[in-house]
Amino acid sequence: MNVEQVFPSVGVAIGLGCVSSLGVIVIAKIRRGLVRARSRALLAPYRGALITIASGEDEGGQAKVALGAAPPHIWSRLRPSVVAFLPKVRGVPAEELSALMRSHGEIDEARRMLTSRSAVGRARAAYLLGLVSDSDSVALVLPLLSDPAADVRMVAARALGTIGDPSAGSGILHALRTRRGQIGLPAWVAAEALLSMGVEIAPTLQIGLASDDPAVRSVCAVVAGHGTYISTAPQLRTLLATDSDRDVRAKAAVALGRVGGPDDAATLALHVGPSEKVVLRRTCATALGEVGHRESVEALTGLLGDCDRRLAELAADSLVRIGSEGIARLEEATTTEQGPRARAASGALELAALRGQLVVGSTGP
Amino acid sequence: MMIWSGFLEALRDVVSAIMNLVATPVLIYFVVTNTLLLVLMGLAGWEFVRQHRRKSYAGSEQTVASQLGQGVSVVVPAYNEAVVIVTSVQALLALRFARHEIIVVDDGSTDATFDQLRCAFDLVPVQREVPSDLLTRLNVIDVHVPRDGRTRLVVVRKENSGKSDSINVGINAAVEPLVVFIDADSILAPDALISVTKPFADDPTRVVATGVVVRPINWCKVVDGRMVEVKLAKPWLVRIQVVEYLRAFMLGRSGWSRFGALILISGAFGMFRRDVLVEVGGLDPDSIGEDFELVMRIHRHMIKNRRDYRVQFVAEPVSWAEVPMTVKVLRRQRSRWHRGLWETLWKYRGMALNPRYGRVGLVALPYYWAFELVAPVLEFVGFVLVALGFALGVVNTSYALMFMAVAYGYSTLVTLIAMVIDELSFHKYRRWRDLGAILLASLLENVGYRQATAWWRLEGWWASLRGKKPVWGTMTRRGFGDDSPAVAALSRHV
Repeated sequence: MNVEQVFPSVGVAIGLGCVSSLGVIVIAKIRRGLVRARSRALLAPYRGALITIASGEDEGGQAKVALGAAPPHIWSRLRPSVVAFLPKVRGVPAEELSALMRSHGEIDEARRMLTSRSAVGRARAAYLLGLVSDSDSVALVLPLLSDPAADVRMVAARALGTIGDPSAGSGILHALRTRRGQIGLPAWVAAEALLSMGVEIAPTLQIGLASDDPAVRSVCAVVAGHGTYISTAPQLRTLLATDSDRDVRAKAAVALGRVGGPDDAATLALHVGPSEKVVLRRTCATALGEVGHRESVEALTGLLGDCDRRLAELAADSLVRIGSEGIARLEEATTTEQGPRARAASGALELAALRGQLVVGSTGP
Repeated sequence: MMIWSGFLEALRDVVSAIMNLVATPVLIYFVVTNTLLLVLMGLAGWEFVRQHRRKSYAGSEQTVASQLGQGVSVVVPAYNEAVVIVTSVQALLALRFARHEIIVVDDGSTDATFDQLRCAFDLVPVQREVPSDLLTRLNVIDVHVPRDGRTRLVVVRKENSGKSDSINVGINAAVEPLVVFIDADSILAPDALISVTKPFADDPTRVVATGVVVRPINWCKVVDGRMVEVKLAKPWLVRIQVVEYLRAFMLGRSGWSRFGALILISGAFGMFRRDVLVEVGGLDPDSIGEDFELVMRIHRHMIKNRRDYRVQFVAEPVSWAEVPMTVKVLRRQRSRWHRGLWETLWKYRGMALNPRYGRVGLVALPYYWAFELVAPVLEFVGFVLVALGFALGVVNTSYALMFMAVAYGYSTLVTLIAMVIDELSFHKYRRWRDLGAILLASLLENVGYRQATAWWRLEGWWASLRGKKPVWGTMTRRGFGDDSPAVAALSRHV
């Protein structure tokens, strides 16, 4: 059989393919329109009630009763709207919507789905249990932190964070580890979840800061800083000084800037020297500004002329943050010097003036 | 007379022999090209389904609210963008994201670009230094920020040195760990940064770059820098480009991303890790295909250093930009694109078919050599041969018609399947008449447009081979702000 003989049958196949594709497009478009119109008609009587609950104005509880009595075929269309509202509301509206979900059996169904064979099913279930802050489900969601699917692990961590039970803290730290080629939880997701768990997470953090896994130490340092867990300061100092991982040292420096005291100015100043890596130098310069003690002024002033101009800029900004003594040094640099030191100082002072961070009469544009 | 008829006879024999020789291989080439595109679309469709199923628990709200996620520096190189720059910056500042700054690099504009910005945002000069993490050609003239000191906008003025150099200046000025480059005339969806940073948020240690599909904005309704209604443009030239963007850019690149071998991110909207950009030296100001060249350099750098990394594509339609509306501008654009393709492929020829570079070296690059670079040659030669064959009467008309019907029919089928995927996943064109026009455009594309673009691409390739200096032209645009027919003529890089 030569090419010429094949042409007609190939042409017919292509033609059929084109017609089928057109058919799919037309059917999809018509179907979408019909579904939308039907949903709109079915949900119209309930839309007002949903908005009333979500805006916290259902004082008589009538809207809740109306939505609770919605028949299953209406509820299945209403459900996505309720789920979409949940992450956007707090307090009473969130509780009311959660109760609504519960009354329609969604929580029980989600708990069952946590062991579904479908990863999407497990993730959706964990997401919903997190949305409604179902504290009774913590023990059921925890195993999902070691789920084979990365999505499920991430959603489970977020859900546990939203529920806010500190007993899940060590599980989240464990999920940070990369095992058998499975990438661990993203650090920021774990950190957000831990931060949501409140002060009771402190003992877990202290254990995590001593972990042999740099990812765990790094996340614990982030949480310690953002949550201002002052009790972790000694461990953070040790990490900054001795940790083998650059990222952990940088995170420890940031955290120390937030939780550290006057003594830490000297500790941080040790690491702004040219022998350190750029990232650590810059982080420590910023952290010195966060600590905000006059002991930092000398070290920061010395950085204004550094050949790393970003570092010089950060040092100048930190001097502004320290207050009058830092600002005085910057003003001195602009009046008595020229070149890069003066430029860094002027830039910081100008920005500070624009932001209203300078006292009246100070240098400004 | 005898000599002439003898010549014609000889020519007939030659043309006939060539046609007999190349007809089947060319047909196979056509079929393989479109089949590979179909495979990429299949991969893209698979990815869309996956993303669609994840959407309900993707956690966009958490991303917006998070203070721990990575911040973004949006770098906007601007050259004579007075008509659009203020609206563009306002829209960028209003994007939904936890932490982002806008850096406009005024590349020595000769119009009122900077004055417009100064008036709109009450800019004042500051003696802020721009670090030199990346080498740049020309020094910064000055840096301006809004007088309130809080709005996260930085305007850097410099002498004109081109788009790539301006972006490098912007990277130097950027303080956030992620950097996105966008054209000043791009319109972004309010959640664009959330969508594009999602891969970085999900896999922060490995994802180094993400690209998005840029869709044609011509004739769409834009209010205050926001897309409010997607409409199909009236000129057929633009409609055909809509089809092209859908098939090749959106689905093709999504497929490559799913396959793990995305080697091209549009210069109109790409996001990168700043540290990686600094490591590889930023954009090459001498490259005419700077976006392609950058991604190739990142691949080479990461693989050479044995680093586990990902370059991903986000298919959600979050970025819109004007496409050429005149043949002249389109010709220049396609010529430049092909020249950039050739120069970059040639520069990185050592990676092609090299097992060390994995899927990029063994699959993506050979594909680009065989089916992107060479395609216009075959298409043009085929067209000339068929025309010559008809003129000399050596073509079997029924065979030729069947050949073209199969070849172009298959290509139309591929476009229709692309439309099916788009309709099932994003369905941006909601009006029936738009759908009908796109269908018609997918047929019209085969009549003249393909042949013309093949020729323009060859022009670009030939210009490069001759060492001709690349020329950046001007583009006449409608501008955005409303759907009035007023045409704002301004010059920009094309």
